[in-house]
Amino acid sequence: MNTSPPEIEHGRFGSGQSVRRIEDPALVTGQGRFVDDCTEPGCTSLVLLRSPMAHARIVSIDASTARALPGVLAIVTGQDLIDAGVGTFPGPAPHFKRPDGEPVSAPPRRAIASDCVRFVGEAVAAVVAETPEVARAARDALLVDFEELPAVSGLDAALAPDAPLVWPGAPGNIAARSSYGDPAEVSRIFARAPHTVAIDVVNQRLAPSPMEPRAVLASFDATSERLTMRLSNQMPSNTRNALAQILGLPKERIRVVVGDVGGGFGMKTNAYPEEVVAAWASMRLGRPVKWVADRTEEFLAAVHGRSLRSRAEVALDATGRVLALRIDTLADIGAHVTPSSLAIPLLIGPWVSTSVYDIAPVDISISAVMTHIAPLGAYRGAGRPESIYIIERLMDAAARRLAMDPAEIRRRNLIAPAQMPYRNAMGQTYDSGRFESLLDQALARSDRQGFDRRLEQSRRAGRLRGRGVTTFLEWTGANVFEERVTVKVSADGFIEIFTATQAMGQGIATSYAQLAVDIFDVPIDRVRIIQGDTDRGEGFGSGGSRSLFTAGSAVREASRQTIEVARGHAADALEVAAGDLQYRGGRFEVAGTDLGMGLFEVAARQPESNLFLESRTKVDGPSWPNGCHVCEVEIDPLTGVVVIDRYHSVNDVGRVINPMIVVGQLDGGAVQGIGQALCEQVVYDGSGQLLTASFLDYAMPRAGIVRRFDTQLDQTTPCLTNPLGVKGVGELGTIGATPVVVSAVLDALERAGLGHRVDALQMPLTSEKIWLALQGELPALPSGATR
Amino acid sequence: MPRVSININGRTVEREVEARQLLVDFLRSDLGLTGTHVGCDTSQCGACTVRVDGVAVKSCTMLAVQADGRAIATIEGMTGPDGSLHPLQQAFMDCHGLQCGYCTPGMIMSSACLLEEEPAPDDATIEQALQGNLCRCTGYVNIVEAVRVAAATMRER
Repeated sequence: MNTSPPEIEHGRFGSGQSVRRIEDPALVTGQGRFVDDCTEPGCTSLVLLRSPMAHARIVSIDASTARALPGVLAIVTGQDLIDAGVGTFPGPAPHFKRPDGEPVSAPPRRAIASDCVRFVGEAVAAVVAETPEVARAARDALLVDFEELPAVSGLDAALAPDAPLVWPGAPGNIAARSSYGDPAEVSRIFARAPHTVAIDVVNQRLAPSPMEPRAVLASFDATSERLTMRLSNQMPSNTRNALAQILGLPKERIRVVVGDVGGGFGMKTNAYPEEVVAAWASMRLGRPVKWVADRTEEFLAAVHGRSLRSRAEVALDATGRVLALRIDTLADIGAHVTPSSLAIPLLIGPWVSTSVYDIAPVDISISAVMTHIAPLGAYRGAGRPESIYIIERLMDAAARRLAMDPAEIRRRNLIAPAQMPYRNAMGQTYDSGRFESLLDQALARSDRQGFDRRLEQSRRAGRLRGRGVTTFLEWTGANVFEERVTVKVSADGFIEIFTATQAMGQGIATSYAQLAVDIFDVPIDRVRIIQGDTDRGEGFGSGGSRSLFTAGSAVREASRQTIEVARGHAADALEVAAGDLQYRGGRFEVAGTDLGMGLFEVAARQPESNLFLESRTKVDGPSWPNGCHVCEVEIDPLTGVVVIDRYHSVNDVGRVINPMIVVGQLDGGAVQGIGQALCEQVVYDGSGQLLTASFLDYAMPRAGIVRRFDTQLDQTTPCLTNPLGVKGVGELGTIGATPVVVSAVLDALERAGLGHRVDALQMPLTSEKIWLALQGELPALPSGATR
Repeated sequence: MPRVSININGRTVEREVEARQLLVDFLRSDLGLTGTHVGCDTSQCGACTVRVDGVAVKSCTMLAVQADGRAIATIEGMTGPDGSLHPLQQAFMDCHGLQCGYCTPGMIMSSACLLEEEPAPDDATIEQALQGNLCRCTGYVNIVEAVRVAAATMRER
């Protein structure tokens, strides 16, 4: 695949083709329906007052001036919500344990803090007013008396012996710890291995930053006593359930509606405090309430991702075979313990710690450390980018130590196709994968032979050049494999398919429509994909690159079942045997006769002029997409600026439904991963103040960061756990891009004379950091653990 | 309240506006032109880009009263009266230059300004022209290509 406009076989819109997206006409004409584009009669505005301090006791709130402003409808405090019986956010799964073996304990998280704030940006009070301007003025008139308390920011501060505790239930500020593998055996192997390599690896904290900030439009209908919540959200059902639990309502009384979502990337998978406040205020005032985050609020109070620091070690034999792996990780989960802030670093990440390599035994430990900063959550890849980055940094460091080619050390450790299905050291089973083939293809596509020539050209131009290679995989599916789909064939000539997975820009509606066209054999404009309405169906939603292989499989199965039901009706109407009817082009026909009936005609004969079918389909397990990325960078040593000169990838996402969309996911995902490698970083100072609270300070990739991608799809290894043979793709590009770009930059710096000292460098590899390294200013490598 | 007369997408509207109201809020709230989006509050993201007398302007950096007597073009005005798409709109679809679509109106308005000034831009020129527009989904490569394809289409006309 390349970036030229995709070819379309005219008149056919089934799977396997780069069909233009059905989502696009509305979006390119300004007709999208994002939450803030919607309003309702009598709509009011909600704004929040947020804590300016990382840790403080709320002594008092004087709302008298604010309350008196014309147009102010309500001032809401944490105590108001408690008095009204509003509950706390769901805590983490109880199976997580503290280091002392006790079950994890979480500070009660409320929509508005009532006694104590634990991070800058935590809500302290809310204002509902007739207009946003009045609401903001009233917020600014609220007088809060804070008693500032000592705060911890950063892992070292949190783990210092006398550190203030974020929560008494987390002694030593460690909320939970998980350990996997066989530490004794790993120690034995390390003691006698010919080589061991130890490095420190930081997966810095990132802000997911979808371009559409979060927003809520809550609307309570007193007659039906139902609350409608219009949200920008990836998991409408789960969010509805959480809101119902917090608000103390039966879940049937809340309807979550999602229109267009301006990017999610995992950040919009959970319920948020602002949604609770908007819902409660709407019920109390009997009027619609809208809240729209500004960007600073997103940096302050939406979840962040990554945020790990690891000591990672491998033991190797003389040929570069890895004998054992040891990783000890500290995750900075921030001030609240949430389901995802533990599951991502402590459970999901470790599943892929050994990646595409045949490595056992392992010794993996992860501690969830609490600090007075914003909570951690899901961000594109959620645990997998962190683990893959760690093992890839180790592979590069080991290659440098053993003076081996980075591609060769990987090759020697790859799992072979004959080992499939392969159970990794964490007990996860890979169904399929031809990792060495992908490596070979990527090396060939990237013109490895020509590297020396390009290196010389760069040298002559006064620039450094380096190349990186990354082989990797990821787990997808969120371990929720069943999807419910409804199909309605209407007499008016449309097939409407509902799924509870959720579009957020990934083009999933187009992909589902293509799968439906495969079965119904009608033009794609006859198919309408409906999502984002909890009144129409429940499900897990979209996250973990799961939608296509779970719900796509369900769309195909439901479509097939619908045809069979319709065939029965047609047979009855035509007084023929169902087995004599052939279906083609939207029509049942008796072969060799002119006897037949159209699908929509069958629908017209049904009681309500439609044919409705509900179906549940379950796939057998997760999918394991994988790839090999190769990147070359040039660095200007005078400025430290990195230019990504060449970027090649070969990707196994199984069978491909829409190559254009898949390549778009891979390339766009890669640029997010490159953002982590080169520029993005959430920075708090030592007092817990956020220093990167705008796009001025948080550096996002801009146009031109990559000029061209060569992105290949290898479809020779279909997934064996779902009937479509597809593997997840949403997170894959992001996961591969971060390590490969870092690998290329470090290679260039090593060649510039820095040697193994480059293994001490941490992301983001900004031009400043690179320039300083070239002047000899690098962090120290771990001492004593490498031989 | 000040009264403004603004030509919006070829049609003159006269309204009273609050002196402090931003142009983007006027477009979205008062006129219902919600295709112009807000993605930040520091004029970094460019989602709110419109054209003011032909020039690409972030409509969060301008007051509605400052638009008095000016001609404003928004994404809604890019489509022809017969519903036909502007070459940029078509090219963004053809080149998969959008995913979530939130940044797209701003991207298209910035690009439209570029193509009027430079009908045959090279990649570097397009990338430079889009430095003020953030996209989190596409990685930009397809956006740059869409602008190049649209430029070629427009030159042929």
